[in-house]
Parts: sequence; C-alpha cells; structure tokens
Amino acid sequence: MIGPLGATGRRVAAAIVLALILQLVGSILIDGFSSEFSIRSMLVLASLLGVASIGQTLVVLIGGIDLSTPFLIGFANVVAAQLYGDGMNFALVCLIVGAAALAIGAFNGALASTLSVHPLIVTLGVGTAVQGAVLLWTAGFPAGSAPEAVTRFVSIGGHAGPLPVPWLIPSFLILLALLTLVLERTPFGRRLYAVGSNPQAAPYALISLRAIWTATYALSGLFAAMAGVLLLGFTGSAYGDVGQPYLFQTIAAVVIGGTTLVGGRGGLVGTAAGALVLTEINTLLIGLGLSPAMVEAALGALILALVSIYGREPHVRASI
Amino acid sequence: MSVATADPARRSAAARGLRRWLAERRETGFALALFAALMAVNVLLNPARFAPGAWGATIGLAAPLIAASIAATPAILGGRGGIDVSVGPLMGLVNALIVQTLIADVGISSPWAVIPAALAIGAVAGALNGFLAVLVRIQPIVATLGTYLIFTGLTLTIVPAPTGTVPHWIQSLSGPLSIVPLLAVAAAWLLLKQLPYYDQLMAVGSDDRAAYTAGVPVALIRFLSYCLSGVFAGTAGLMLTALIGSADPNVGASFTLLAISAVALGGVSLGGGRGGLLAAVIGASDIFLLQSALTYFNVSTFVLQIAYGLILVASISLNGLTAMIDRRMAR
Repeated sequence: MIGPLGATGRRVAAAIVLALILQLVGSILIDGFSSEFSIRSMLVLASLLGVASIGQTLVVLIGGIDLSTPFLIGFANVVAAQLYGDGMNFALVCLIVGAAALAIGAFNGALASTLSVHPLIVTLGVGTAVQGAVLLWTAGFPAGSAPEAVTRFVSIGGHAGPLPVPWLIPSFLILLALLTLVLERTPFGRRLYAVGSNPQAAPYALISLRAIWTATYALSGLFAAMAGVLLLGFTGSAYGDVGQPYLFQTIAAVVIGGTTLVGGRGGLVGTAAGALVLTEINTLLIGLGLSPAMVEAALGALILALVSIYGREPHVRASI
Repeated sequence: MSVATADPARRSAAARGLRRWLAERRETGFALALFAALMAVNVLLNPARFAPGAWGATIGLAAPLIAASIAATPAILGGRGGIDVSVGPLMGLVNALIVQTLIADVGISSPWAVIPAALAIGAVAGALNGFLAVLVRIQPIVATLGTYLIFTGLTLTIVPAPTGTVPHWIQSLSGPLSIVPLLAVAAAWLLLKQLPYYDQLMAVGSDDRAAYTAGVPVALIRFLSYCLSGVFAGTAGLMLTALIGSADPNVGASFTLLAISAVALGGVSLGGGRGGLLAAVIGASDIFLLQSALTYFNVSTFVLQIAYGLILVASISLNGLTAMIDRRMAR
C-alpha cells in the first residue's frame, strides 16, 4: 500500500476526480453541458453502461475477461421482447431470461476454469453461438417491446419519487453499494479477490477455483442480461446488436475505473466512475460537433491518454 | 520401463524426446486433423472450388483471414497479456489509405509504391501499438483497443462509404497470384526464425522475468513484436484490398476476433511463448474451410454463426482436455 488510499484507492479516486474535471471542461466548452436534461441523460447512459460493466468488473477481478457480454445483452434484449410480445407475464420473462443468462455465464466460467483454456476464446465462442441461436429463433427480425414500467424505470424524463431522475439511478447506486458490501465483507467477495490475486495459492486456502469462476461468470451473465432488458426499455424495441458497443466500453470502464486486468485489484465504485467518464467523453465529443467517425477515433485517443496517466503497468524488473 | 532392457537410458531419452515433440505440437496437430477432415468434406462437396485450376481464387478468398491470423501472432507470442486487437481495423485503414488516398487522390498505383506504402503504414501503426503497450505500459488489450477505435474512426473519415477501384495487378493478388503475398510472409517468418530475435521472443513469452534477468532486452523484443504484427497486418490489408477490389470501411474490423480465434484454434497459447506462424495459418484455414463447407449447404448465416461458435469452443476445449489428461498422467 502506497499513500493513505493505497494504489487501487488512488486509481479509483483519480477516476472520480476525472469525472468531475470532465464535467467542468464540458460546461466551459459546450453550452448546456451541465443543464438538467444533459446531466440526467448522462446519468442514465452511464448507469446503463455501469450495469453492463458490473459483470465485466467481477470477472476481471478474478483474472478473467468476458467477451460474451455484448452477445448476452443482445440475447436478453431480444428474448425478453419476444416472450413479452407473445403475451407472457413480464416477471416470468425476467426469470427465464435471467436463469438462461446465469446458466450461459456459469458454462463459460466452468469450462474456462476446468479445462484451463483462455476465457477470451471460450466467452467469444459461446457468445457467438448464443447470438446465432437468437438470430435463428427470430429469423433476424426480432419483434416485441418492453412493458411500460421498464420504459418508465429508465426514461430520461422519469422521476424517482421526489428525485428528478428515473428510478434507474438510485437503484443502480443501491445495487452498487450492496455488491461492494458483498465484495468487501462476505467470504464470497474475499475469495474472489484471493483467486484473482494468486490463483495458485487460492486452493491452499481451500478455495475452489472452479466454484468461484463458475459463480462469477454466472453473475456476469446475469448483469449483462439485466443491462439487455433495461436497454429494451430505453430504446423501446428489440435489437440483436444493441450490445455491440458494450464489448469494448465495459472493458474500458473497468480499466479507467482502476481495476487491473491481471486480477485481484480494483472494485465496482471505480467502474461506476469509469462508466461516467466514458459517457461524459462521448457526450463532450458529440457536443463539439465531431462526426461519428471522429468521435470514435477521439474516444480511442482519450482512453489511451487517460489510462497512460494512472493505469500504467509495472516494469518487468519490478516483478522480480 | 521394464521393457527397455537393452539400452534403457537411450531409449527413455528418445521416448522423452518424442513425448516432448508431441506435447509441443499437439495443439496444432489437433487443428491439423480438423483441417484434413474439413478439407476432405470441402473437396467432396465442392470439387470445382478446390480443383487445382481454382486454387488461386480459393487461396485469395482465404488469404485475408490467414494473413490477419499471422498478424495477430507475434504480439501474442510475446506473452504477459500481449495481444493486438487492432489488427482488423488496421487492415481496414490500409485498405482505405491505399485505395482512396494513394490510388484515387494522389494517383500512384505502381506496385513499387503501393506495397512499400502498405507495409510502412502497418509498421507505423504497429510501432504506435508497441509504444503504448510496451513503453507506456498500458495493458495490451486496452492499448490496442484504443488504437482499434482510432483506426476505425480514421478509416471511416477517409472513406465514409464503400468506393473506389484497384489496378489490375492488385486484383491478380486475389486470383492467380494469390499465393505470392502469403509466400512472402512465410519467407519473412522463416528468415526471422534464423535470427536470435525469434528465440528471444519465445523466451520473453515463456518467462519474461527469467529472460530479463538473463539480459534479454524484454521491452525492445516486445516492442518489435508489435511492429511485426503491424507489418503483417499491412500485408493482410493489401490482400483484403485485392479480394474486395475497392475501399470498404466496414469489413476490416470483423477480422480481429476471427484472427484471434484462428490463432487460438491453431494452438498458439494466448499466454505467450508457444506456437508460431504455421499454427496460425492452420487455425485460419480451419475457420475458412468451416465457413466454406457450411456456406455450401446454403444454411443461413445464423446457423453458420452457431456452428462457428460451437466448433471454436469444442476444439479449444479438446485442446484443454488433452492438456489436462497429460498433466494428470505426468503426476
């Protein structure tokens, strides 16, 4: 531990400070960047990205990576719309989609840990197959929509009781607090960090690598599905590729939030800050009037610039 | 061991050598078996496409993916999370710069200018990746993801929509002369294997700490591996240009994940230090032949996608399974 916060704490603090600085820069450069509507919409977009990034954070903490996230987002998005459109009770729909996502995620984790094959390839292969199956089922033209309640839950103009934001924002913050508590204060959470810090040593502490990997990837699938259903409410109609931007954005949010890809260090608060930073950058670039192509290029350059400030890896000589 | 009565020492040494050779090549051997099976299926299904007279066109069809997989290999061999996910977008950028900027805008279409230009663009882009991933020490997947976005954005800025034509000599690179660029890449790789650089790269990929203490310039070796990836991606971009015969901003990016799948399928360890060009080529050929066979059945692209995902998972699982059984036996 270096300094009062420790290395990870400093990275998280840096992400939060960065979010504030970007807000300030945006307000100076663009008229209305800090208007109520703009802040609301950024919070909603950041929360959607945040939900999708929760699972990515958990698997990165155990030293893995999950490329099936965008496919599972699309899967949940399309399947939920289709089933609800067929007249099924929405609670039942969520149950089915959630259970399927848990199962797919668990399969990812179990396979990668049991056979010690790289999770990058396992999740990519499984994700591709899942997307193909969904496309086959809907013949490429998904139908259906989300119930009114979900749409209201994520609507930018929505109100959560007296708060001027939709219920999504407070719910996301509560979820974040609960999950942080789980990570910091429960045996499961501590095992997760233990597996990520030193997978060789974990078995000696009677931690089953396979159990942790299976459970964590299952959770990752579940949160991807949750993001998919929320996105259905946000966009109004089903779209199989709705998750595609989230492939790299979740990884970027995790890394900007101070979680290292080697595992064992980081947390969800940082990821939430990272999601906010990414959303602010996106809004800023679009607000500056750049073309979508230039927004993409500038986003790449800015992610690199930010990570090079505080997300650098140690030199190999430091690991000897 | 009781069988080896005559010369136990020598026989067990030979057995050990054989076992080690098998252990080192088995992952690739697996992909090779798949290759043979898929090739047989393809030849049976579609003899016209695989007849000797059509080899040029068929290889031209497979060449961009094969070259992309070769391009993805050096960075992965360097180990410690080394990976280059910008390979696909870089191919797209080379395609756009060659067809739009060089041929259409500047009006240069001589092979003596175009080929060096493609390689130079690749080398510069690779050096940028190497700078970010090795010298700035951003985690490689994030560093190359950043350049992924940059290359994609630049490509779309140069050619917002598919456009342009290419001179005849480029088109012939996906027809009768399609094997030439691949042979050039193979020759470059074989030359590289003669240099100390190759051994140092494998050493760094296997155990960078040991390599560092042994005096290997780890950072330089890894930096050069990204440059190599870039140069190969430049070649791949040229082959892509030959195949599509125009500038298209939307085709490049899809090669990244295919190439990395192909590399893993071929038996290159994503942990670094194991595998090589041949493994990448066989893995890529597997994916190409799989697509080719499934397309013949005229199945929907959705089924193709399912089959592709499942076969990818099944084959690396089998690789993992045999490795696990091996470890059990060794114990």
